Amino acid sequence: MKSQGMRRTFGLLAFAALLTMTRGVGARQAGQTPPPIAPGAKPPASPGAKPPAEPVSRFPDIAGMWNGTPRARPMNSENFPWTKSNYPVLNERGLAYQKAFDEAVAPKYDCVPSSSPAIQYDPYFMQVVQWPDRVVFRYEKDDAMRTVWLDGRKPTVQDYSLQGFSVGRYEGNALIVDTDHFLFDITGFDDYNGIPSSTLKKVTEKYWKENGELRLTLTLEDPLFLRQPASYTTRWLAAAPGYQLEPWECDPESSRAPIKMMIPKYK
Amino acid sequence: MNAKRVTVVVGAVLLGALAAPVIAHHSSAPFYDPTKTVEITGEVTKLHIKNPHSFLYVTVDEKGQKAEWQVEMGTGAQLARNNLTVDTLKPGTMIKVSGQPSRAEGSKGMCCIKTLMKADGSAILRGTVPKEPPLR
Repeated sequence: MKSQGMRRTFGLLAFAALLTMTRGVGARQAGQTPPPIAPGAKPPASPGAKPPAEPVSRFPDIAGMWNGTPRARPMNSENFPWTKSNYPVLNERGLAYQKAFDEAVAPKYDCVPSSSPAIQYDPYFMQVVQWPDRVVFRYEKDDAMRTVWLDGRKPTVQDYSLQGFSVGRYEGNALIVDTDHFLFDITGFDDYNGIPSSTLKKVTEKYWKENGELRLTLTLEDPLFLRQPASYTTRWLAAAPGYQLEPWECDPESSRAPIKMMIPKYK
Repeated sequence: MNAKRVTVVVGAVLLGALAAPVIAHHSSAPFYDPTKTVEITGEVTKLHIKNPHSFLYVTVDEKGQKAEWQVEMGTGAQLARNNLTVDTLKPGTMIKVSGQPSRAEGSKGMCCIKTLMKADGSAILRGTVPKEPPLR
């Protein structure tokens, strides 16, 4: 009997709680808090209310997956992106290094990733992610990643690296990236012309969106090897929806395999 | 082994007209001679789909001697985008392939595939380099 009474009491309390919750839902529907909106549905407009303003982005939106394959631009080669009209003017040191260059010593044959200004023109996809304090570029080629800092931090002498140290800022509709603190790289200019780059290399990139494309003008200077800055402009197309970067996972054996097909320059 | 022959054709090549998988990791010129074309017929030994280069290994009968040829192809990522997998070229498949021959003396290599077909003549892979004007 005692047990039955307790069950009845508990049942009454549960009913009261349910009633309270139901009234709460009714109160919210009366306008205190908007109900959840189904994906893709527009929120209901209040009578006489102005349509909600579009959210204003604090910075130009260049985020997304971008297609840099030959669909977007000519394949990189000895002639692209460095053509007759924008080919760098080498100083005597640069010419001497280029003349002595031996393809077999190129670090890429041991899976060392390419760096600026070559990596931007490699014919693969690239993903851009923007945060308030940084922009991250992820490259399909070489599984490479670059972080562009927007928070005002400065590089130290510990920050020399293959990809250098990048800082950025937004100007109008563009992201401007300045990169220095590169390590010396025997093929630091590109994959094809046997031109090195030094610790004085500086690369400036300007990214902006135009007609749904991502565009880039890249300028580099390196007073140890170039007489004057050199520059190219290129573009990426929007990747197909759902595209995900393919893992690169460079294989050292296949990377060096072509070397035996070459007539050695030095013995 | 039904491999038949190795033919080297020296002459002008219509560059870019039939350049099968693109490489874009290194210039092919130091390794392969773009002024020549070599064609081999043989049996697929293995297909290594890797980055930065995939390699197709083909056993060829050269005057009674078996020789292994190494055919450089595009990156794993590029082949994946073109749906070329190890199942496309299984070991034992008889193929005929042509491209630029390697330069080093005694080497048996090829790149920049121009034609690649099964022994029955059916196509396996054939592509072109897009010719869009440079943006500058």
